Amino acid sequence: MPQRLVVTGASGYIGARLVERARQRGCEVVVLGSPPPGSDVTAIPWRLGEVPRLTAFLSATAVVHLAHDWASDRAHGTGPDNANLKGAEILAETARGGGLSRFIFASTTSARPEALNAYGKIKFAIEERLKTMPWSEGRIFCARIGLVYGGPERAQYGLMAKLAGLPVLPMIGLDREVQPIHVDEVVEGLLRLAIDPPLGRQTVVIASPAPMTFGAWLRTVRRARHGRGMLLVPVPIRLALAGCDLSKRIRFVPTVERERVLGLAGAAAMPSAGDLAALGVWLRDPFRALMECRPARRRPVAESAALLRYVTGARVRSPGAIIRLARALRRDPAFRRAMPSMAVRWPALTRLVEPMRPSMQHRVSRRLHLAAMVAESLPDQPKRRVLWFVTVGVQLVLEAVATPFRLVLGRLAA
Amino acid sequence: MSEDDAEFVVIGSGPAGVSAALPLVEAGRRVIMLDGGDDRDTQPGTAWERMLGSRLEALTPDDGLSPKMRAPEARALMGAFQQQVQIEEKDFLAVGGLGRGGLARIWGGFVGELDDDDLRGWPITAFDLRPSYDVVVSRIGVSGSGDDDMAAFYGASGALLAPPPLGPTAARLLRRYQSVRRDPDFALGRARNTLLTENRWQRQSCDYRLDCLWGCPRGAIYDGRHDLALLRQHGNFALRDATAHRLARTEDGWEVVTTAGGGSLRAPRIIVAAGTVGSLHLVAPLLRTATELRIVNSPVIAMPLLVPRRLLGRTPTSGHSLAQLGFRLSLSAEPGDYVSGAVYEMIGLPPSTFAARMPLGRRAATEIFRALAPALVVATIYFPGRWSQNTVTLHPAANGPRIEVRGGVAPGFDAAARSVRRRLTAIWRRLGARPLPGAALGTAGTDAHLGGVFPMGLVEPHGTNVYGELRTAPGIHLVDGSVLPTIPSKFTTLTVMANADRIGRSLAGLP
Repeated sequence: MPQRLVVTGASGYIGARLVERARQRGCEVVVLGSPPPGSDVTAIPWRLGEVPRLTAFLSATAVVHLAHDWASDRAHGTGPDNANLKGAEILAETARGGGLSRFIFASTTSARPEALNAYGKIKFAIEERLKTMPWSEGRIFCARIGLVYGGPERAQYGLMAKLAGLPVLPMIGLDREVQPIHVDEVVEGLLRLAIDPPLGRQTVVIASPAPMTFGAWLRTVRRARHGRGMLLVPVPIRLALAGCDLSKRIRFVPTVERERVLGLAGAAAMPSAGDLAALGVWLRDPFRALMECRPARRRPVAESAALLRYVTGARVRSPGAIIRLARALRRDPAFRRAMPSMAVRWPALTRLVEPMRPSMQHRVSRRLHLAAMVAESLPDQPKRRVLWFVTVGVQLVLEAVATPFRLVLGRLAA
Repeated sequence: MSEDDAEFVVIGSGPAGVSAALPLVEAGRRVIMLDGGDDRDTQPGTAWERMLGSRLEALTPDDGLSPKMRAPEARALMGAFQQQVQIEEKDFLAVGGLGRGGLARIWGGFVGELDDDDLRGWPITAFDLRPSYDVVVSRIGVSGSGDDDMAAFYGASGALLAPPPLGPTAARLLRRYQSVRRDPDFALGRARNTLLTENRWQRQSCDYRLDCLWGCPRGAIYDGRHDLALLRQHGNFALRDATAHRLARTEDGWEVVTTAGGGSLRAPRIIVAAGTVGSLHLVAPLLRTATELRIVNSPVIAMPLLVPRRLLGRTPTSGHSLAQLGFRLSLSAEPGDYVSGAVYEMIGLPPSTFAARMPLGRRAATEIFRALAPALVVATIYFPGRWSQNTVTLHPAANGPRIEVRGGVAPGFDAAARSVRRRLTAIWRRLGARPLPGAALGTAGTDAHLGGVFPMGLVEPHGTNVYGELRTAPGIHLVDGSVLPTIPSKFTTLTVMANADRIGRSLAGLP
């Protein structure tokens, strides 16, 4: 019999992905509240804090509660009127009444009583409340989720992707530890909790077991998406908060939430390796996963066309060849560092950034070798009738001109 | 044919395996052949698929590999082999192929017979091999010249096919050689290749498209698959897609256990033709550990040459990229003390492999290589195996011995190689060719002219008798390069095949 899941917050960043993946697995999904855009999943109107209709839970096995009302955090703080606190409680009670066997609450790695922001505090309060319910043992699970990335550029990840476009970034909390995790890995873990939870773990941490500083993470995102480094300028927290307050007053400047700033400033790592292993979630290399994201995909094609142009000396008209080289580049570890952008724009300048001696460890040399292999596999090689000594002479002169540049740039581009 | 009543199990479908199996099968013996490949890998595909692989598996840097080893087919064969056969190598490349037809699918096709001078130290003579040379040469098709200065050196067995047209640069060297005063120590002539210059049976003659490197879809260059097709016409022959993993004794013979649930096969006699390294891997567990074995290879030097008079000539648009010419240089007055080699034209070889080693920018290197390519040839010089000094150590381990191969050259090799290069440099200059810088000694093993592991005639546990039968394990016959007692400077594949045919013939009870 197919499993039937009830999902709240299904239109969100994690929710949409969860609904899609659960249905691919053959689960039946009922959404409480708004469904993922463009999805034909069954949706029952509901708002956080309302009592859902019991029929929603008919023959369902689990609720995955992802919905969160940010406005309520702002309005009520951690007070008893916060809709998130009341909503989770009502939902859990109703689900229990409907005969559900499991309730999965999406929490955060910043959930702790001393959290700086309301979000962390309220998530912690909800966890505590749910755990004190008399039937919670083996039925209520709290998933503390790390810094989620990957997939569509939404939520926190959308902001991160935007920031990664900047070469210089003043930022707070650069030395705080974050635990990045791919949205698909989060979904994997949540589904496992909903369908077949591991024994004896009520609170599980779904976050990278290898914390990294927030600064290192921003650099990773930038390097993977744009192939470049980033200059990060640490900003003191007080200054940032003052800036937040200021941004509210100045018109036409986007408002920055104190809440987000405080969230970052208060981040700290939680051990997760054991939980991930129990859930059977294996993490991919975030760098590779980020490289697969959309904007980075255009880079290999542009590079590939430029490289082929340089090696053959003519515009390569075979789209097949460009795509083949792009594919080879994308899977090559040397591709982690981008080609110098001037060589992509003006392929003839590639000569200036090559190393003095070809080496397969040098990112330019190695790419050129792959490009040459692709060029050789093209059916019509360029057949220009030029006297041999003219070719050799011209090339040697160009080499002589390029040498001083290569001594410097070739080494820098290694 | 039922698998229980096989009289012989042949391990490997390379040139040695098929050559040993053919006389047995033709004599009506029941033979099962094991081979780790399948028939799917024979799709020719488009040009780029042949050069880069349909999944672009060959589109990775090939730093330092010989151009023929970078082809997808070569990478697939050798990669599959390396996965199965775990050998620790130090300064040695344990080359082997796992797949239909064996390593011969990526060979150069160069053949030559050994004479009595070459066979010194062997328990057999050229007389014993002659009938087998005849059979093999006639079967696989060899083209070359029967009346130039190298003809006698390469032997006179079987009927030769007409030689293919010579490349223009090689042709120039040969003309020049024929017009200058002869040097009694040096001889140059047409190469002898298993390259068909006329259609025969299911194989088509060469169409001279200069892309031999990427596998020949016409079957003009011989490999074991062609004989496999002959074998499969017989009802008393069966081929199984399985990789031999272990040999075990039974009451009345041997059992071959295969990898990954392929089951096992029993037969009174097992013919091991897995290639020198593959056979070493299979047979090593039958030997006492801590044994030191030898593995002999033929140290090889490549020497690029420029023929300046050809710089203004036309770039050929047709031809083949196998060896064009063969040469021999005597090292001393002693018979059998010589080096020999082959001359290849650079047209038809991928510029990227050479450009990657030139101390120039890529564009300049490619353009200069292209401009000079019509005038470039490369000479490979093979030294006799006695100059190699490789050791094989079998370390005891839980499941079968751990095999470690260390490569090296004998003391005095560097001086000998320098002297050979100096003499050849003078000779090439007389023939109008200028040696270019960049001569390189290949890593031991890359030549794939391997042997001397289980020498025929050696009275030691790891020695074999004249039928390749292992002294310590009667019923196990080794028929590939591993039983050659010495490796001469000549190419050995033809001799491996003739020797396998000879052993197959005697096991079948044929004259």
